Amino acid sequence: MIQRPREFGWWHEVVLLLLLMAVVIGAGMFVPKFFWSLTQQLRLSRQMWEVALLSLGMTLIILTGGIDLSVGSIMALSAVSFGIVFEASESLPMSAVSCLLVALCCGALNGALVVWLKLHPLIVTLATFAAFRGIAEGVSQGAHYSGFGEAFRGLSHDNYLGISIAGWSFFGLVAVLTVMLTNTSWGRYLYAIGHNESAVRFSGIPVDGMKFSLYSANGVLSGLAAIVLVSRTGAANADVGSGFELEVITAVVIGGTSIFGGRGTVIGTALGVLLIHQTRKFVDLYLQAAEWTPILIGCLLIGSILVYRACSRDSK
Amino acid sequence: MISTFVKSYEFVLLAVIVSIVTVVSVVDSDFLLPVNLLDILTRSSAPAIVACGLMLVVLSGEIDISVGSLFGFVATVMGILLSTDHLEFPLLIGIPLVLMVGLLIGLGTGVLVTFGRVPSIVATLGLLGVLRGMALLVSDGKNIGGLPVGLQSATKVGFVGLPLGIWVAVFVIAFTAVMLKWLPIGTRFYAIGSSNYAARMVGLSEWRLKLFAFAYTGLCTSIAVIIDVPRLPRIEAKLGDGFELLVVTCVVVGGVSIAGGRGRISGVVLAVVLMTMLRPVLTFLDIGAEGEKWTGAIQGVFIIAAVVGDHLLTRFRSRSRQGNIDANPTELEGEPS
Repeated sequence: MIQRPREFGWWHEVVLLLLLMAVVIGAGMFVPKFFWSLTQQLRLSRQMWEVALLSLGMTLIILTGGIDLSVGSIMALSAVSFGIVFEASESLPMSAVSCLLVALCCGALNGALVVWLKLHPLIVTLATFAAFRGIAEGVSQGAHYSGFGEAFRGLSHDNYLGISIAGWSFFGLVAVLTVMLTNTSWGRYLYAIGHNESAVRFSGIPVDGMKFSLYSANGVLSGLAAIVLVSRTGAANADVGSGFELEVITAVVIGGTSIFGGRGTVIGTALGVLLIHQTRKFVDLYLQAAEWTPILIGCLLIGSILVYRACSRDSK
Repeated sequence: MISTFVKSYEFVLLAVIVSIVTVVSVVDSDFLLPVNLLDILTRSSAPAIVACGLMLVVLSGEIDISVGSLFGFVATVMGILLSTDHLEFPLLIGIPLVLMVGLLIGLGTGVLVTFGRVPSIVATLGLLGVLRGMALLVSDGKNIGGLPVGLQSATKVGFVGLPLGIWVAVFVIAFTAVMLKWLPIGTRFYAIGSSNYAARMVGLSEWRLKLFAFAYTGLCTSIAVIIDVPRLPRIEAKLGDGFELLVVTCVVVGGVSIAGGRGRISGVVLAVVLMTMLRPVLTFLDIGAEGEKWTGAIQGVFIIAAVVGDHLLTRFRSRSRQGNIDANPTELEGEPS
C-alpha cells in the first residue's frame, strides 16, 4: 500500500497569517508611518505582552474544555499584594515572589474547586472573578502604589533586539509549549482530555492532577502578567487587568482553539493576539474613536468562527 | 407536600434570606421599614426579568453573556428615541420600538447560535463587545438626559401600594413560570437541555426552541430597561456594565444547572432577591468607610459559598433519590456523533 503523506494540519494558522498580513498591509495604506515601520511596531508591541502571556495559559485550559474568567481579577489581587509588600519591605524580589505566591494560591483555589468539587469551570471562575477583585479592593482600600524604581521599569522598557524581556519570555513560552503540545505525552493528553475526559480518566491518566496544575499555573502566569503590567505603567491598584479576560479569550478563540476543547495550537493563539493588537492600533491611530475597538474585535471573533464553520466539515 | 418543600433547594434559599433579614433587623430595626423592603424589590425587578429569559437559554444548554451590553445598548436607543433632547417620539410608538430592538437583537443572537453554529459563549462574547461599542457610538459618548416626564412618573406610580416596575416583574415571572410548568414548550426546554440527542430523536426542533429562548431574553432585557432606566437621572452608555455577571450568577445560584435541563424559576427569583439584598444589607450593618471597600469581596465570597453549597446540596439530594421532571439531577453528557 502506498503510504499517504501526513495531512497538513496548520491551515487555520496559514489563514490567520494571511489575514494578519492583509490587515497590516491594508491598515498601512491609511497609516503607513506606523504599520509599515518596524521600529514603530516594535515600540508599541510593548502594550501587548500582558494579554499575550495570559492567552498562553488560557489556550491550555480551553484545550482541556475548561475556561478561566478570573485572570483579570487575579492580576488585580497580585498587583495589589506586590504594591503592599513593596511598600513594607522596599525589596523588589520579595514583592515579586509574594505577588506570584498570591497568584498561585488564587489559581490553586480555582483548580481545587474545579477538580475536587467537580464544579463547572465557567461557574467557579465567575465566582472567583467577583471575589478576587473584591478582595483586592478591600485590601488596598483604594490605594495606588507606585515608585518602584528605574530597574523595575526596565523589565518592560529595556529592549534586547527591539523587544523587551516580557516579549522574549512570551516567544520562549510559545516555542516550549508548541514542542510540548505536539511532541510530549503530556501535550497529547491535554488534547485527549478536551475530546473525551472520561476516556482519558479510564486510561489511568491523572486527569485531576493535570487540571489542578493547569489552573494553578494559569494563576502564576496571571501574576507574571501583573508584574509586567505594573512595570509598564508604574502603578498598581485594584483596577489592574479589568476586562482582560474577555480580550484573552477572544484572542484564543480567534486563534482557532475550539471553545469545547480538543483542538487548537499555541501558534494560532499568538497570531490571534497579534491580529487583535493590530486591529486595536488601527482603531487608535486611524479612526481615533475607542468605541470601534470592541465592535471590530467582536466582529472579528464571530466572523472568524462563521468562516471556520462554513469551511470545516466536522460537526464540532 | 410540606416535607418536599422543606427538602427543596428553594427552602434553603428562603431560609438564608430570612436569617439575613432577621440578623440585620436585630442590628438596625429600620431595615424592616416598608421603604427599604420596597427599595430592595424595585432593585431586584430588572435582574429578575432578565433572569427569566436567561433561564430558558441556560435550560436549553446554552448561555448568553451579552445581556449587560444589550441592556446598555437598548437603554441608549430608548434615550435617543424618547428623550426631549433627541427624537422625542411619543411613548405609544417609542416603547414598542424599544421592545422590538431587544427582540430583534436576541433573535439575531439565536440565529448566530442555531444556523451559524457559533458556540453561544463565543457568539455572545463577541456581541458583548459589539453592543457596548454600538451604545457608545449611538450616544456619541455623551450622557442622555431628559426622558419624558410621563415615563418617569409612570414607573413611580403605585398600584395597590407597589410601584409599576414590581408588577411588571411579577407578570413576567408568572408568565415564564406558567410557560415552563404547564405549556408544552416549557417541558421541551428541559428535554433539549437534558439530552439534546434524545430530544432530537423524539422529534423536537432544537433550533426553534433555542431561537425562542434567545429572542425571549432580548425581549425581557428591553422590558427591564423600560421599567428600570427611567429611575435614573441620565442614561450613560456604560449602563449595565457587569449586569450579565449578576444575572448569570443569579441563575446559577438559583439552582439552574449550567449544563442545561435542570432548574426551577422559584429558585432563580429567590436568588435574585438574595443577591440584590446584599448591598443594602451591608449598608445597614454599618460597616464603616473601611468596611465599605470590602463589599465586593463579601459579595464574591458569598457567591462562591452559594455555588459550593448548591453543589453539595444537589449531591446530597441525588443520593436520597427523589427525582421529578424539573429537579432531575442526572445530567447526560455528550451525544454520539
